[in-house]
Amino acid sequence: MIFLLQKTLIFTIPLLIVALAGVFAERSGIINIALDGIMIFGAFVGALGALLLRGNPFFVDHNQLTFILAMLIAAAAGGLFSLLLSFSAIKLKADQTIGGTALNMLAPAIALFIIKVFFSKDMLEMQMAPDSTGKMTDFGFVILNDDLGPVGSVFFDKAYISTFICVALFVVLSILIYKTKTGHHLRACGEHPHAAASVGINVNRMRYLGTTVSGCLAGLGGYVYIATVANGTASGAVAGMGFLALAIMIFGNWKPLGIALGSLLFGFLKCLGVIYSQISIPINGQDVYFLRDLDLPMYFYNLIPYVAVLVVLAFTSKRSRAPKAEGIPYDKSARESR
Amino acid sequence: MKTADKKNTAVSVKADKTWISSVVASIICILGGLLVGFIILILLAVFDQDIPISEAFTGVVTVLGGPFSAGNTNDILFQLGNMLFMSAPLIMTGLSVAISFKTGLFNIGAPGQYLMGAMGALLVALSIPTDVVPSWIVWILALLTGTVLGALWGMIPGFFKARFNVNEVIVCIMTNWIAANVVSWVFKATGDNFINYAETKVNFIRKTASNGVATATFGLDKVFGGSYMDISIFLVSIVAVILYVVLNKTTFGYELKASGFNKNASKYAGMNEKRNIILSMAIAGGLAAAGAALWCLNGSQDFKWDTYMTLPADGFNGIPAALLASNNPIGVIFASVFLKYIAVGGSNLAAQTSFNEYVSPLIVAVIIYFSGISKLLRDFLVKKLEPRMFDRDSKDRKRRPGRKVPIAAQNSGEGGEEK
Amino acid sequence: MDNNAAAERNIRTDIPYAIEMSHITKEFPGIIANDDITLQLRRGEIHALLGENGAGKSTLMSVLFGLYQPEKGKIFKDGKEVKINNPNDANELGIGMVHQHFKLVEVFSVLDNIILGTEPTKMGFVSEKAARKRVMELSNSYGLNVDPDALVEDITVGMQQRTEILKMLYRNNNILIFDEPTAVLTPQEIAELIQIIKGLAREGKSILFISHKLTEIMEVADRCTVLRKGKYVGTVNIADTTKEELSNMMVGRDVKFVVDKEEAKPSDVVFEVDHLTVKSKIHKKNAVNDVSFKVRRGEIVCIAGIDGNGQSELVYAITGLEKPEPGSKIVLDGEDVTKKSVRYRNTHGMSHIPEDRHKHGLVLDYTLEQNTVLQRYFEKEFQKSGFIRFGRVREYSELLIDKYDIRSGMGPVTIVKNMSGGNQQKIIIGREMDREHDLLIAVQPTRGLDVGAIEFIHENIVALRDSGKAVLLVSLELEEVMNLSDRILVMYEGEIVGELDPRKTNPQELGLYMSGAKRDKAGADHAEGGERQ
Repeated sequence: MIFLLQKTLIFTIPLLIVALAGVFAERSGIINIALDGIMIFGAFVGALGALLLRGNPFFVDHNQLTFILAMLIAAAAGGLFSLLLSFSAIKLKADQTIGGTALNMLAPAIALFIIKVFFSKDMLEMQMAPDSTGKMTDFGFVILNDDLGPVGSVFFDKAYISTFICVALFVVLSILIYKTKTGHHLRACGEHPHAAASVGINVNRMRYLGTTVSGCLAGLGGYVYIATVANGTASGAVAGMGFLALAIMIFGNWKPLGIALGSLLFGFLKCLGVIYSQISIPINGQDVYFLRDLDLPMYFYNLIPYVAVLVVLAFTSKRSRAPKAEGIPYDKSARESR
Repeated sequence: MKTADKKNTAVSVKADKTWISSVVASIICILGGLLVGFIILILLAVFDQDIPISEAFTGVVTVLGGPFSAGNTNDILFQLGNMLFMSAPLIMTGLSVAISFKTGLFNIGAPGQYLMGAMGALLVALSIPTDVVPSWIVWILALLTGTVLGALWGMIPGFFKARFNVNEVIVCIMTNWIAANVVSWVFKATGDNFINYAETKVNFIRKTASNGVATATFGLDKVFGGSYMDISIFLVSIVAVILYVVLNKTTFGYELKASGFNKNASKYAGMNEKRNIILSMAIAGGLAAAGAALWCLNGSQDFKWDTYMTLPADGFNGIPAALLASNNPIGVIFASVFLKYIAVGGSNLAAQTSFNEYVSPLIVAVIIYFSGISKLLRDFLVKKLEPRMFDRDSKDRKRRPGRKVPIAAQNSGEGGEEK
Repeated sequence: MDNNAAAERNIRTDIPYAIEMSHITKEFPGIIANDDITLQLRRGEIHALLGENGAGKSTLMSVLFGLYQPEKGKIFKDGKEVKINNPNDANELGIGMVHQHFKLVEVFSVLDNIILGTEPTKMGFVSEKAARKRVMELSNSYGLNVDPDALVEDITVGMQQRTEILKMLYRNNNILIFDEPTAVLTPQEIAELIQIIKGLAREGKSILFISHKLTEIMEVADRCTVLRKGKYVGTVNIADTTKEELSNMMVGRDVKFVVDKEEAKPSDVVFEVDHLTVKSKIHKKNAVNDVSFKVRRGEIVCIAGIDGNGQSELVYAITGLEKPEPGSKIVLDGEDVTKKSVRYRNTHGMSHIPEDRHKHGLVLDYTLEQNTVLQRYFEKEFQKSGFIRFGRVREYSELLIDKYDIRSGMGPVTIVKNMSGGNQQKIIIGREMDREHDLLIAVQPTRGLDVGAIEFIHENIVALRDSGKAVLLVSLELEEVMNLSDRILVMYEGEIVGELDPRKTNPQELGLYMSGAKRDKAGADHAEGGERQ
């Protein structure tokens, strides 16, 4: 059970942070369908950064520091990459869905192209390396401790430092978007850009800001995903996690609390598909692997989260309320029609 | 009345020229993509000591040459044949995306529909013994089954959109991954009958030729240096022409396009907008699936059944094909062949230089990026080429100052005495 | 209370103009939107800016707000030349505007909207305490009466407008611009607004009042500047002019204020609505609640009311765009069509000029000719075994173009998007009037059009009535209601609260019904109507 919750948390974190990424873009008025691509790009650059850093023994000794630095690199890469989207959407007033699709195709193409050219492989693997004491280190856990009690184990045993960082980031950014002047302005731009402009808010700047924050978070989420879920392998794909995050954002009604809930739910379902065969409940002192014993193929567990998204969207579509101006290029001289 | 006629025919001829703007816009997008690809090759050559700068130039020439970079005549013919064969499924997914765009929907679910089509076609083509049923009937049945399965699969996002107003992009993506798992599941469960143990390719399904089912080639495969070439490219071209006629000449096409341009107006006009959404997605799904079926039914293709982690690239590449063609079905033929041309160029690049085949998807991605602004580009070009179209009619006011007499009085007879 | 009010208002003629826009010229490709226009606003004055749609009022205001840079001309504030490059500059000069379509974020509270852009912060976080106190003070001292914590989407249009006024006051603006502020208000609310505006002027604010409604201008303004087709016509003292002179200046010829029409001769009932109820999509109450009425051949029945009182939903239900609640009944030509499709109604005697021509009426990316057969493309005349008969469509569109004087750049093949609003509306008018029908539903058929087009459409509607058709008109314009209709049904909060005879009532009485201050006994009986011939 503790194992299941640990794993759920690990799957939840990237979804949580990437769904929040979606909120920042869409609340400013830009549809960010490119979350998946930005995750791929962030993961790739982050992994590249981590590999380069670990070429230096200092960073092998300080693997947590390396992890954090790689997250920063991934965030920066995601932010830069998202500029492609914001530039086409804001400056060129291009169709945002098409622009996002282009980014989704561009990211794996760039990643695979470069990986192949420089590493002659189809994926980038971050392997363990011996540190100065000869111990093998990876980019991994903070604490390995079995004596933390049930609650402590869920959160701290075999925990990644990214989990704490992302949760803190999620809380802080959620407060910022509601309570600060900038957050106020950003949300106004997604709802009624002309109203925002009429009181002197620079709509385009806010939209650049929203999309860039979105890109940073998605890039970071991408790296966290490959580091914690995908065994440290950047392969030009994140198994549709970006789209799942997008769906969670819609499910959460573009609000942090709903997103937190949705991420937990889908994190749980997603991890179920991976570890169902290892889940056991003790019956009469014996561990019973009831899901494994059901003898359903893994494909069944794999498709549960996607089916769940459909069911949930069907039921929540009525109360769903997207930012009013999302997807509509802002044209300051255009007359509004009602 | 007569003078008006004259004026209007002259005008309509002019209006038809707007397609030129579309073509020019597409070419600009393509050039943009190629330019970026070229820059990336040069940058790589600059950064990587092992690659001489000159190789970047060779690289561009190789990509641009497509199959013609292959070397000797036989290789060129072979690659040309394969290119044309590979174009057929891409044309179909391109048409799939194009018709959804025309209805105002974004069918990014073509990969899932493609997988369902492949599954349907393979199950039928390999299950019915050809010593009992003539193989050409099996071929047709297989194609139909795949198409219907894909159409049903395409209806799912259509239904969600019409019934619950859920964004079709999300539903399409979800159905893609569901399809990937379903297909793997089905073949896992029934595997022993279909998996290619004979050639010890356990990740793949048997070739349909093993059951004697294969698309007619009329010797074209031999003409094209023993390639996979068959008649599928001609079949799909006919489909494209039919689709063009349906969209532009029929009441059904009029309805679909009206729904796409303005959902509310189509509702107001009494069109069944929800039915049209579902129908359009079903057609889109059927087209993508038929493309996949044609690919499988070639007879010599390896279909990877354990596909739950990957989606077929041709499904996604239908998007650039449609965008490049401005959603014109005839244009989709040329756009798709072009994309495959570049892809063949990419694999020649990998074979002949230090670069690799991923440069092709890179160029394609950049082309889509530019396609996003192609509508603007097109409008701009139309404005340049057709300044008259944008004349505000305010000028005409001076020409015809007097107001007309109310006319309802004149035709009171028609309507009033109807009942 | 009109013109001696000027003295009471303390207009300063001894100091430089609060704002002077001098010889402004602004061109767009192919059109001169403002041609050498001068506007002089005194401190403490209420100055009306009068002109038809397209006369250049909006462009002039956009220049004042820095949205456009003029090719020629200068702007002076208190006698000193100023450069206004963007709305922020205008704001800093104390210029504020209540836009015709309010610039309010619907999901924000009133207070959040007022402070948007100038939020006071504490340690980086928005601090609303001081702002709230200030807003409440302003609200009380000007009698604006707003609830700072209500969400904008939940409050009335009147309160939204007062929120906009508070937005300007909160920013210490002293040059206040009102763009068509009365369009969405009842006569009573208009009277209140005029009091507020006069109060603001007394406090020394300078006010620019943009309108095309002469009655209001006569009532509120001290002076009036008139624009026509982008040109400056003149500035007059309201005390020295008449409504007729102003309208002549605005249109360039004499305007009839009354539509010529004979006495209506209603005959048999064509259309009947019985206990119609429609659920609201926004609030919990019914958008249309138990509405019943009849329309006869040869009469124009008008649904009057303030925007948002259920008129749109009523029309949607009648035309089949929205489902009514069970128990509702809609009868067309003696047949119950409540459950019939839009298509069925269209082909069985119902024509519909929709409220929003861009949303419903036209496919803007289609050509003119394609739009003329929007509901008829499948009829035998235009279709053969699934294929559209393009030749017939062309002929038909040419017929309509000729009959209804639809002007466009390229005739039948013009993309409708590239046509002017008036001619777009004429496509719809022509299409709907020419289709076989017994009942025409016309929703705000003259919205946003100039006087010439309005007259044209009004005359056509009257002619249609005289030819024996039934007309159901939905209008927000009081003048249109009074002039055109033979019978008025007033809608308030989804119910029909009164039936009035336009010859026996006046705008004041109508206003009382529209604002819910007065109502006849509820139920269907008052709406029977038509018994008077």
